[in-house]
Amino acid sequence: MLELTRVYHFSAGHRLADPALSDDANEALYGACFRPHGHNYYLEVTVAGRPDPVTGMSVDLGQIDGAVHARVLDHVDHRTLEEVPALAGVVTTGEGLARAFWRLLTPAVPAGALRRVTVVETAKNRFQYEGEAA
Amino acid sequence: MTDQAASTRRFTFSAGHRYWVESWSPEENERFFGRLTVPHGHNYTLDVTVRGPIDPLTGMVIDLSELKRVVGETVVERFDHADLNADPLFRGRVPTTENLAMTVWELLAPKLGADRLWQVRVWEDPNLFVDYRGPDA
Repeated sequence: MLELTRVYHFSAGHRLADPALSDDANEALYGACFRPHGHNYYLEVTVAGRPDPVTGMSVDLGQIDGAVHARVLDHVDHRTLEEVPALAGVVTTGEGLARAFWRLLTPAVPAGALRRVTVVETAKNRFQYEGEAA
Repeated sequence: MTDQAASTRRFTFSAGHRYWVESWSPEENERFFGRLTVPHGHNYTLDVTVRGPIDPLTGMVIDLSELKRVVGETVVERFDHADLNADPLFRGRVPTTENLAMTVWELLAPKLGADRLWQVRVWEDPNLFVDYRGPDA
């Protein structure tokens, strides 16, 4: 097996807030992250497979690109993440986004191919999600 | 288990390639690979990771200058400013990023030892990379 990783980019606004908490409680919990702000995110999608003996390709990159654009990037790029219907109920931490993107992508890629979703929030923070079993 | 660590050194090379299956007609190739049939090139980045016990005397998993020499002689000199399709290693093997990663592994494993070589990561460009950890992984 080998792993192929494709790197995508999007920019989005967000804030960390638990809707069940008061503003004061959210500010105490999330600090600066409670204030509306944004990031230049990178999204890394890793798929596992074996290269086809004839074509040398392990996955249909066009299918992966199409799925990532249609199911994730088109919804989040230059948006406020809290207003994205596909992310309803998600606290938009890096971990929360990685898990949400995994769940959005799983049905759109070949069964079992998705290995890892990595959300790079800043040059200093990266978050990986590998599914519930991992 | 002794005390293990992994060391990675980065290399770069620029190479040309095209996606083309010799046994297919030009029309089949163009239908399947599209613009990738046109000869073009990339600035590749190669991250070679070696894993093993930390030598109690040197404090190293591997002398990185040895790694630099082996990868330089075996891979970089071979592929830098080369046409990958013209290399005998890619006869009947489309030079995709996947096949390039496997080929680099096959070149390095006998030199570094398959037990020491841990991972080969080939970046075709800053937006696409392939990791290969050998036929048994």
